[in-house]
Amino acid sequence: MTAPAKETETSTVAVRVRDLTVCFRTQEGSLPAVSRVNLDLVRGQITGLVGESGSGKSTLALTLLNAVPAPGQVAGSVEIDEVGDVLELRKGALRKVRGASIGYVFQASQNSLNPLKRVGKQLLDLGRSHGERDSRALVGRARALLDDMGLDATRVLSSYQHELSGGMRQRVGIVFALLLNAHVLILDEPTTALDMLSQAQVMEIIRRVHESRHLTTLIISHDMSVIGDLADRMAVMYAGRVVEEGPTASVLATPRHPYTRALLTAMPRITGDIAGAKALPGRPPDLTSIPRKGCVFEPRCPLATPDCLSEEPPDTYAGDHRFACFVTAGEAQ
Amino acid sequence: MITAEGITRTFPGRGSMLHREPVRALRGVDFTIPDRGAVSFIGESGCGKTTLGRILCGFEEFDGGDLIIGGQSMKALPSRNRAPYFRRIQMIHQDPYSALNPTRTIGQILADPLELRARQTGASSNWAAERRAELLGLVGLDPDYVVPRYPHMLSGGMRQRVVIARALTVDPEVLVADEAVSMIDVSLRLGILQLLQDLRAKVGVSVLFITHDVATARYLGPDTTLYVIYRGMVIEHGSTDTIIQHPAHPYTQCLLSAIPVLRGIEQPGPDRLIPLAPLDERSQPPGCLFQPRCPQAADDCRAAVPALTTGGDFVQEHACLHPRTRSVVATASSGAG
Amino acid sequence: MSVTAALPPEQLQQAVTRSRKVSASRWRLLVRTPGRVISLVIVLFFTLMAIIGPYLYPKNLPINSNDIYAPPSTAHLLGTDFEGTDILALIITGARYVLLAAFIAALVTLVIGTAAGLFAGYYPRSAGRPIMRVTDFVLAIPGVPLLMVLATIWSFGSPQQMGLVLGITGWGGIARAVRAQTLSLRERGFVEAARGLGIPGRRVIATEILPNVAPYVSMNLMMQLTGFIYTEVGLFFLGVVKYSSSNWGVMLNNAVFQADALTSTRALSYLLSPLICILLLTISLVTLANVGDEIFNPRLRRI
Repeated sequence: MTAPAKETETSTVAVRVRDLTVCFRTQEGSLPAVSRVNLDLVRGQITGLVGESGSGKSTLALTLLNAVPAPGQVAGSVEIDEVGDVLELRKGALRKVRGASIGYVFQASQNSLNPLKRVGKQLLDLGRSHGERDSRALVGRARALLDDMGLDATRVLSSYQHELSGGMRQRVGIVFALLLNAHVLILDEPTTALDMLSQAQVMEIIRRVHESRHLTTLIISHDMSVIGDLADRMAVMYAGRVVEEGPTASVLATPRHPYTRALLTAMPRITGDIAGAKALPGRPPDLTSIPRKGCVFEPRCPLATPDCLSEEPPDTYAGDHRFACFVTAGEAQ
Repeated sequence: MITAEGITRTFPGRGSMLHREPVRALRGVDFTIPDRGAVSFIGESGCGKTTLGRILCGFEEFDGGDLIIGGQSMKALPSRNRAPYFRRIQMIHQDPYSALNPTRTIGQILADPLELRARQTGASSNWAAERRAELLGLVGLDPDYVVPRYPHMLSGGMRQRVVIARALTVDPEVLVADEAVSMIDVSLRLGILQLLQDLRAKVGVSVLFITHDVATARYLGPDTTLYVIYRGMVIEHGSTDTIIQHPAHPYTQCLLSAIPVLRGIEQPGPDRLIPLAPLDERSQPPGCLFQPRCPQAADDCRAAVPALTTGGDFVQEHACLHPRTRSVVATASSGAG
Repeated sequence: MSVTAALPPEQLQQAVTRSRKVSASRWRLLVRTPGRVISLVIVLFFTLMAIIGPYLYPKNLPINSNDIYAPPSTAHLLGTDFEGTDILALIITGARYVLLAAFIAALVTLVIGTAAGLFAGYYPRSAGRPIMRVTDFVLAIPGVPLLMVLATIWSFGSPQQMGLVLGITGWGGIARAVRAQTLSLRERGFVEAARGLGIPGRRVIATEILPNVAPYVSMNLMMQLTGFIYTEVGLFFLGVVKYSSSNWGVMLNNAVFQADALTSTRALSYLLSPLICILLLTISLVTLANVGDEIFNPRLRRI
């Protein structure tokens, strides 16, 4: 894929991902989980990354922290405002950046909190490990954040992780990520495993916190409706590639890539004609079954032509909206 | 046909030995599952819908009320005689991975109940192998591909289909799908929902669909009914389409308001509601259970628990003293694709 | 290293190359690494020694009072003992008792302990209670002291006797652990489903629960084998159990208490030969222990 033809001005982009590739060694050679991805996170905006299992979205999120597990090999660059290329940093410098510049919120159901320590103690540990000596100030900030989240600060700080509900743990995770005043926030599946009401609550909190602290936020989810509601811009990933990206309203109203279109028709919706819904044939590919040549979506694509087998489609631009498809590139607006 | 009358279930509850509060999971639930029908239970986590599903499959006891399966009252039967009736109701669990034995191949997993059947009916084991292939085809899987594989080699959607095929080995009357698509990729969910719809028509099975995602409840085929459950009580009940388009109870309106709205192609409903407070499972409010969280609670809501009635603007049964029409569900924007 | 370790988390469960035969032979796992091959060879070697050994020599090994505590030589590869008997012969004939007793003990604990644990865990409210009472009783029995007491009246002439006693007093731990696993497996989706499908309890235990506790049980078996070997060798070494003909434990006893092997180098070979055999055997058993986990757990099999 070529670099975007339109370079957005430096001052408006907080995170610039260029030509990012993450490969894993398998018995069939070195296979890419993320392949030549270009992505800009615009400062002050919420960007959503939609993808299913095997799409590489979690791996991509981890590269922003330079935290891809060992056997993975990363190539390309991830430039973060005021930090530089995260992939060039090691050890001490990297540890400082994680938490202080970039906050990462894990999925609540992954139980990333230490089950043997109270929440308050873990927050203090986090602060101290970043050289923050003033415990009072830390606790004060934590309390303020917890209040913002609509939680009973005193109770939560003295609780163990298993004493909190899923929605509460998710919110505590956000507090951890923001405690050190990061300006980039990454949320990995923030609403998965939450019921509708808790999900709406967490989404509202994300929106509020994003606005009040002027963050640059990246939300990763397999649920397009969450992204479609929250995100200002969205990117759709399939088999390690970003197949479509642009302002959310534009991507949803006029989806250009056949996968995006197929996802929208295959998504159960509360309104609209149920007869129009069509299931996607096949299944999302895993690392070993991604086609090596040609468009990765070709095996499941209703619009596939023989040309789609020969090479990967380049990005086409329709204003601020880019997508990678030979066939739809030729369609009229 | 399955009928439940006044099912109650109370759990002893957690806490120390000195201070253990019982949890009333179900407070008198009535429902009917017609033959070849589709019924959905919706509600937030902890509302009791999962417990209800498990009671229906015989995995949990019920403390009060009665369950009538095929005309036979379960209350009247001693526990050990109930198994053949509960066998007619099969569960499709939420997690398709833990629902299949990881140490056995799909072929072995399906062969077990089929060979048991063969021995009971005197059929040959050839029949078992043929039936297995037939059932796998029915759920949309290729027997040659799937039979020698272990569960971890299949996608979530395929595993869930295997679970459905296994449930079908005993020719059940009802499939209870407890959050059956929640852990599956979005692009694969519709396939499972349509499979359930097909099975209603082809095999004559009815479906009880338990979910917190109301949108999925629309895709189970024609004539589906919906029960909205709050803290162990049915607070609204009627046809799925009617309730979604014209919800009566404020809680239902809150649930529907919480559904994300897709920018660019949807507009939010203008009258959306948010509960005033989070769910407190231990609170025992006088009168209506939802009243502490209800944005439109009035004084008489504290007086008595509202009964299920129809009336006013609403054709469906609802348990609210002051239901009001609100437009909460997102609508398609003009000019949308 | 292997396919599964190299993959990103979301791919981990899907990474089986489709071109390979799906049901690969599990027993190939035993020879996957050099360490395992060597361990397997050692265990087989000693097993053969135990089975065939005594047939290679006359029942009463020749003694030669002129040649006591001789160092290793071409005539006696490992030297001689206090009576002039060839140590190599002693090792080969002494293997049977040690291995057979340990094997019988492990078999007894395996069968009784696993069965008790499975039934106690699957029927916790009915059969479970009496089974656990018995298990608790067995757990409370101090195995080694009991044997020491029994040894005053019983000479444990045959390895079967010792194996039986060790086994009957030692199955408590495995029963406990298997019961705990069964209790939790019982709540898993596939076990519930099997019950809901009308599959009878015994069959559910055999086909759904047992294969899932098998990894633990097989690892435990290996560790128990080594434990039992040490127990009996220890008993003989301490001189608590008197035994007429020789075995490895008796050899150690003689070496230390009669030949002062710990203070002088006179009978070094007499001390080291059984010691090294025991060490080799137990290390090999332990190495093979974690093969059990892979054999029974398809997910771990890196085909």
